[in-house]
Amino acid sequence: MTKKTVGRPKNPAFYALMVALLVMSLGPIIMMVTTSLKLNVDIMSDASSLWFSPTLENYETVLCDVLWYEPVNVDYCNPTFSRALGNSIFIALMSTAITLILGCMAAYALVRFKFMGRGTISMTSLMMRMVPPAVLLVPVFGIWTFNYGLDGTFAGIVLVYVAMNLPFVIWILQSFIVQVPMQLEEAAKMDGANPLQIFFLVVLPVITPGLAAAAIFTFRIAWNEFLLANALLNRDTRTVPVTIVNSLTEYDIDWGVIMATGMLLAIPPIIFTFVASKQIITGMTAGAVKG
Amino acid sequence: MPVITFKNLRKAYGSAEIIHGIDLVMEDHEFTVFVGPSGCGKSTILRMLAGLETVTSGQILMNGKDISQLEPIERDVAMVFQDYALYPHMNVAKNMSFALRLAKYPKAEISQRINNVAAMLGLETLLHRKPGQLSGGQRQRVAMGRALVRDASSLLMDEPLSNLDAKLRVQMRTELAIIRDKIEKNIIYVTHDQVEAMTLGDRIVVMREGSIQQHGTPQELFETPANKFVAGFMGMPPMNFMDATLVEENDKLLAHTACFSLPVKDLHNKHQLPSSGEVTIGIRPSALLPVVAADETSEHTLTLLIKVCEYTGSQSLLIAEANGVRVLVEVNSQPSFKVGDNIKFSVKPSDIYVFDRNTELAIY
Repeated sequence: MTKKTVGRPKNPAFYALMVALLVMSLGPIIMMVTTSLKLNVDIMSDASSLWFSPTLENYETVLCDVLWYEPVNVDYCNPTFSRALGNSIFIALMSTAITLILGCMAAYALVRFKFMGRGTISMTSLMMRMVPPAVLLVPVFGIWTFNYGLDGTFAGIVLVYVAMNLPFVIWILQSFIVQVPMQLEEAAKMDGANPLQIFFLVVLPVITPGLAAAAIFTFRIAWNEFLLANALLNRDTRTVPVTIVNSLTEYDIDWGVIMATGMLLAIPPIIFTFVASKQIITGMTAGAVKG
Repeated sequence: MPVITFKNLRKAYGSAEIIHGIDLVMEDHEFTVFVGPSGCGKSTILRMLAGLETVTSGQILMNGKDISQLEPIERDVAMVFQDYALYPHMNVAKNMSFALRLAKYPKAEISQRINNVAAMLGLETLLHRKPGQLSGGQRQRVAMGRALVRDASSLLMDEPLSNLDAKLRVQMRTELAIIRDKIEKNIIYVTHDQVEAMTLGDRIVVMREGSIQQHGTPQELFETPANKFVAGFMGMPPMNFMDATLVEENDKLLAHTACFSLPVKDLHNKHQLPSSGEVTIGIRPSALLPVVAADETSEHTLTLLIKVCEYTGSQSLLIAEANGVRVLVEVNSQPSFKVGDNIKFSVKPSDIYVFDRNTELAIY
């Protein structure tokens, strides 16, 4: 072995493994992209799948009723997808917002206020997260439908998502709030801030990175969730994942449209994560107190 | 500016009482320094005065009005925290104006006050920086500025200089002394550094384990300490203590120790001496004078074996031993002393402090 090769694995198996992993992770995405750009004829043909003339027809079909022009190739415009996209965005944003608002307050109370059962609440809230959604599905469906009539409503699904994500958000934010120096809050108190002002004007801005991390997490869960959405939502309130699955019928599977929908489904979380992660800057408390 | 009075002030956490009934009057426009070793309760007292800690019993009066149950903002006090506690998401101007903005002051007045204080503290060019972009000394000044902008009648400072490096600390101490003369306020300052206490304070309160040991001017504390603790705490390097027996010979008081005897000044309250004559004597390191050769005849000297010589410039600190007892001596570096030498030292009788060995109270 010469010195040059130190630290550089030369074993071909290493590269083989890398390639395998790459194919496994990128393969489905590449397949989704290419399929979404193909006509059904190309998709079904046995010929090499890499040679085709790309087209946006599938996207036009999916987005037909939000486009500013009338796509020539769409005979009948099915508004299902654009409606589902709107539903998904609304449900994900609403549940994220409510979870964060409740979560940051609960986390603050659990960290800063001394009351009986504080530790128990903190632990049990996290244990709730350990219950698989499939277990919750049946009772939630029953209660929502027969007791409260919340089935098929946005309120019903947002409530479930908030309940599902709250424990984890509280848990994340607790660890951020613990790091806010007590002196900072005391300084605000000396400056005449009341407890709400201390919380909103001093503590929240300092834990912005935590809020951003929690927001990304919550948004993605609400966006991708299928099981509960499938059970609780109806035709008009369905989210995108449910819509995609429902478009697989026994008579016709329009792969091109499904893949285009999948592509569109992937975009909002990317944008949201990108925007939110800008808030995750390390050293937010730099300069607050002597480190 | 108000007179601040503590009346039998106590603080307990559960059954553990940490402040044992403090009675104290801090006069108008006075710089009071609370000093003591860590854990003596000095910060707790400051926080009780600020309203950050509840008062277990007793009263805090400001011009005769009991403020001990009021919210911090209603007490007319501003505070500088040990770790600065600057709001990291606000720039310097926003940090300083936070209290004024909460109190809904008009914008023009806020900016005028900020400009005044910034000019006094030399912060004009830093107003738009965030705390993270400031150095330690600058942060310290911003923290002070934030307290000054409020124009409260009393300014509380909790070890404000302890996080600065040695050089900056001395520099800020000087600046603080200058600012102190510019502002007409009561300043209550907590520190564990007796040099800060001596140089800044009009009056010093020496605390130990939740009780006041002595309250007085720096000179009073240095020259007439009330007990062994105050004597040992004030002054750097610290006072030497030795067990001794006081004996009266030919109308003169002599302190006998195992290896030497020294004359002690005439005590006015001899009746307080324990009948056995067993006392502790204290000698400041600077009070020990090397005996020059011509003076060798003097009978009341003590001979010290030099163990370590710490050269600090014009002065040197000798760590010496007399019969196994360690003694610190502060001498001029010229003439120099060699480690291992046996040197004779004399002490003026008036420079020897006498303490009761059991109660540790000073006897004069």
